[in-house]
Amino acid sequence: MAERARPAAGAGRSPVLKRRSDLGIVLKVGALALVVLGAAPFFLDIYSVNILIRALFLAALALTVDLLWGYTGILTFGQSAFFGIGAYACALVFTHWGFGAGWAVLALALGIVAAMAVAALAGWLAFYHGASPLYGSIVTLALPIVLTQVVFAGGRTTGSSSGLSGFPTYYWTIEIWFWVAGAFLVVVTGLAWLFVRSDMGRILVAIKENETRCAYLGIPVPRIKILLFVVAGGIGAIAGFGYAAFTNVVAPELTGFLLGTELLIWVALGGRGTLIGPVMGAILIDVTSSYLSGGLPFYWKLLVGILFVVVIVALPQGLMPVVANRWRRLVRSAENEAETPVLEVASPRDRAHDEEQPLDVRNVHRNFGSLQVLQGIDFIANKGELLSLVGPNGAGKTTLIRCLADGHERSGGDIAIYGQALGRWPPDRCVALGIGRKFQAANVFATLTVAECLRVARYRLDRPSVWARKSVLALPEAALRIVEETGLAKTLEVEARQLAHGQKQALELAMVLALEPSIVLLDEPTAGLTRVERERIGAILTSLTERERLSILLVEHDLDFVREISSRVIVLHQGRIVLDGSVEDVVGSDLVRQIYSGGVYGERSEES
Amino acid sequence: MVGVLVLDIVTTAAILFAVATGLMIILGVMKLINFAHGAFLTIGGYAAYVATSLGWNPWLAIPFAALVGFLLGVIVEHVIVRPLYARPLDAILATWGLGIIIGQLITIGFGRQVQFVESPISGAIDFLGQSYSLYRLVLVVLALAMGAALTALLYFTRFGLNARAVIMNEDLARGLGIDSTKVRLLTFGLGAALASMAGALITPLISVDPNLGLPWLVNSFMLVLVSGVSIPGLMVAALILGGAQVIVSTYFSAILGGLTIVVIAAVILRVRPQGLTSG
Amino acid sequence: MVKTRFGIWVGALALATVFGSGGVMSAETIKIGIPVGLSGANSVVAPSVVQAAELAVAEINKAGGVIGRQLELIVADDGSGAQGAQKAFDSLVFQKKVDVLISMETSAARNAGLPIVNRGRVPFIYTSFYEGRSCSPWLYVNAWVPEQQVAPIVDYFMDTKRAKTYFLIGSDYAFGRGMLEFTRAYIDQRGGKVLGEEYLPMDGTDWTAIISKLKASGADALITSTAGGAPNVTLTKQLRAAGVDIPYGNLAVDEGTARNMGADAAGIYISASYITDIGSAENKRFLKAMMAMFGDDLKTPNDLSVPEYEGVYLYKLAVEKAGTTDAQAVVDALGEVAFQGPRGRIQMNKQHHAPLTMYLAQVQADGGIKLINSFKDVDPGEQCPNL
Repeated sequence: MAERARPAAGAGRSPVLKRRSDLGIVLKVGALALVVLGAAPFFLDIYSVNILIRALFLAALALTVDLLWGYTGILTFGQSAFFGIGAYACALVFTHWGFGAGWAVLALALGIVAAMAVAALAGWLAFYHGASPLYGSIVTLALPIVLTQVVFAGGRTTGSSSGLSGFPTYYWTIEIWFWVAGAFLVVVTGLAWLFVRSDMGRILVAIKENETRCAYLGIPVPRIKILLFVVAGGIGAIAGFGYAAFTNVVAPELTGFLLGTELLIWVALGGRGTLIGPVMGAILIDVTSSYLSGGLPFYWKLLVGILFVVVIVALPQGLMPVVANRWRRLVRSAENEAETPVLEVASPRDRAHDEEQPLDVRNVHRNFGSLQVLQGIDFIANKGELLSLVGPNGAGKTTLIRCLADGHERSGGDIAIYGQALGRWPPDRCVALGIGRKFQAANVFATLTVAECLRVARYRLDRPSVWARKSVLALPEAALRIVEETGLAKTLEVEARQLAHGQKQALELAMVLALEPSIVLLDEPTAGLTRVERERIGAILTSLTERERLSILLVEHDLDFVREISSRVIVLHQGRIVLDGSVEDVVGSDLVRQIYSGGVYGERSEES
Repeated sequence: MVGVLVLDIVTTAAILFAVATGLMIILGVMKLINFAHGAFLTIGGYAAYVATSLGWNPWLAIPFAALVGFLLGVIVEHVIVRPLYARPLDAILATWGLGIIIGQLITIGFGRQVQFVESPISGAIDFLGQSYSLYRLVLVVLALAMGAALTALLYFTRFGLNARAVIMNEDLARGLGIDSTKVRLLTFGLGAALASMAGALITPLISVDPNLGLPWLVNSFMLVLVSGVSIPGLMVAALILGGAQVIVSTYFSAILGGLTIVVIAAVILRVRPQGLTSG
Repeated sequence: MVKTRFGIWVGALALATVFGSGGVMSAETIKIGIPVGLSGANSVVAPSVVQAAELAVAEINKAGGVIGRQLELIVADDGSGAQGAQKAFDSLVFQKKVDVLISMETSAARNAGLPIVNRGRVPFIYTSFYEGRSCSPWLYVNAWVPEQQVAPIVDYFMDTKRAKTYFLIGSDYAFGRGMLEFTRAYIDQRGGKVLGEEYLPMDGTDWTAIISKLKASGADALITSTAGGAPNVTLTKQLRAAGVDIPYGNLAVDEGTARNMGADAAGIYISASYITDIGSAENKRFLKAMMAMFGDDLKTPNDLSVPEYEGVYLYKLAVEKAGTTDAQAVVDALGEVAFQGPRGRIQMNKQHHAPLTMYLAQVQADGGIKLINSFKDVDPGEQCPNL
């Protein structure tokens, strides 16, 4: 299907056409799915239709788990909680308040609102800057457990362990229910498909790959995760509502931990991160277990358990792709047919604060317990300055860079960017103030293409679309220069992990420059570069200070490089600044020579 | 009433401690949450069942359970956990799958019904003016003994030294020539053995059926995350959280009591992600 | 011993598969659907229920079947819960198209299955004791409800044990709460006082706090209604470990489990519509036939499995009276036919429920059950006034 809709490859396609082809695929496949679903009830027996309706609702729920886990890397046990909220909203309203079109709308709205509120709370708890993924998973684990207990504690109102059943509901024919469930699944899947194929979808993958890098690119990771979690919760609640309205029964199992883990099993077996895989996996496994549950309940569960472990350990892509290889190739080819974006110059953003000092560091210090890594750090950086930070290993250079890029890092002191205090802002807010940090080891997004990496870097200034891929990639002049001069412009479609080391470094630098920073922090940019590459980097950095008037702070060990390009040098030793001056001052200094060779000055400070 | 409350808290804490140590040692050395922990508790319960059915002294069931757990743990580490060294979240899922497998195998092998295990001690005695379950009191002693033995293992043996080095900094330990693969293997076996032993210890108070371990799993690992990797830390965490559970169960509702540990732990971890004791 | 158990389970599974897959019976058979908890909380008693049904079907088929047709059993696992029950009922009613459902379920499973029964228009003979007041034109109950079971125990405690104050403990689910609610009302009505009523969730295992409250209250007697299987065992074990020895009436333990609990169960009072010691000729014949059919694999007949046996016979009688297996005709007949079974004369003519003879017994230290008193034809009360 996708082959016929594939657009001809080539640059210069208008953005409108690109959006249409993606939308086109979805509409065509969706229409076909609806036709199949429309006809199915007439070919299947009542029992199968019954089972399938339930499976369809559960498949929509599995889809949300794939969005969270397969695409964004959030291992969640909690989607069953939202499913249960939707289901119980339906049952509670219909049992205790009333039944009718108005009540149904109210119940649905209540379910969605309650689910989203709980999701927002859980998200706030779980996804904060510096939270470990394990903690996030634990919060999602606690959700269904808490909810199940709440249901248990509800006595007669919630039916407690026995649940509620027989409440008034829509006793439509089985065909109508099938169409409702099927249409719901098709719509949700279609929208999700558009979403993950859009530019915003790439952001999710970037977050899963390398959350730290995202934070330092100004992407508000916690907020995105919470938002995604809330939306997934809402969809889960709708699925639960439909499920309860159809089956006419709710029980604590619907909100529980076991259902939450079953969803993960379905997604894992179906193939995480493929969207269709989990949907198919959920339907297949749920239907099969219904058929087998009469005869061999234990052996079936044992088989599923074994398959699950095998898949996690050995086949992370799941069973579905192994079984349906052609589908996988289709997906890959459709994705590779994605347009190569056209590069363009972005209009620079407004710089209102041109008179202020770019960087003003006052009395910054950093301790780890009683160990003083940095103390009394005081310096300023001017516009267009190429400031090198040198010093022996352990002097605190990288720590200082970290303090400049992350407001939480330092133990005390003040840092101001263009007069605005860094305060305790997390990295993504520091980026907003104008800091761009390039890491020592090339820190890019391995499975994204070069163009996608750059697009991710433009998040803050060029908000990505949630349902399409733009065909134009606008980069600031500086970034564009790097991309063109280092040959990256010819490798826009190559996955970042396939680039050579030097190319990766250049890509990361381009990404940092795409942020349009005022201050660029670089940690050993020449590490691992050939002489040619080193000269090129030097030229690029120099041109950045001259043409864009950026302030560049550079940690380096290669003193020749430092001598060639720096306009100023700061020498750090044992956490303190021992010298701050021009290149000649530092090069000629006895002090520096002694420090590097561990001489007299070093001994004296050991005594004190 | 207060006397009984205090005894309830102390004995509940002792039980939680005994159940959670196995999980803690695995978390410390291997930085991984073993979601098969509940299944190992169940295995311990069934090992005790087998031992008493064979006519052995019920006290022997405990070391027997430990042995069975150790052997199984070593096999599991090799086959399932080792390949997932670099993927801790996946390791949680794989060990959960393992728990399902163990549960189903036990069901197929032993049947789904509840088994009855002879208890080494039964009845109540007068303790500090209260009539209280003797076995629960004995459990406090046994839990303390477990803690002491584990501390001795960690601080007075070569293995313990290696394990502590790996806990602190695995790369550095390997750089110093410690075979961290072997340490991890033995540690997982030890953790499984501790879990099985705890399962055997608690059978006199609960029923032995294939789902024995499940209710303890979530509470155990919440406890371990809150306590950090430290034996005294785990005792303190068990007292605090176990105590909270008992108090809520007694004064509010036993149903909400089941929730207390999970909720309080989640809040504590939000405020202090490294747990009550760091490292 | 482990091997025998394994053998039993392989055998049971094989049987279940044969029955579950629809077997190779001819299309002329009358299909009896048995949705039962092969897995889950009821898995302990499910085998005995299936055995009772098998004996009834074997006997009836040997005697020529029902209106010239043979009976066929189809068992489905309801997982002892709502979700599983939906699947099981769906499978039996819509896929296997059974003519009748005869089985015991947890209340959660029964509640989940009823909408399907109503939609599928299939007679459903519910053979498990339960909390009462579950009503549907298609549902008949031949087991006891609180009105029948609670009175003997409370009366005995009040009159013979002189217990004035009571403590109630239960599992938090419809049956547990329903039973204890009725018990409290009955105790109040008889002039006693309830000092405490505590619940744990169905999967709870830690009764510590509740037991401490019990001891602190100083109640004269304890009455419990926990879920079957594990909760019964954990509560009893923990009670005995804490030294509780006041009169202990357990509304929810079956004879088999009580027997197996060994020394811990000694002293427990049970009130049931069936105990193996019943001296009637029907019971003796029934036990002999069960022994003959199942031998070493026999699961002790109990208050959950014997109503199943009688339920199959009641269905046979109803079909014969109606002259057809047509659902509506059978449903009308079910309220009128009477069967003399191991428990006595069973007729589901009181608003779809049946008056039953109740037995009060006490578990002995050697695992035996000692009969204390029996009460003939106890009325189930107003269960479904609209039927």
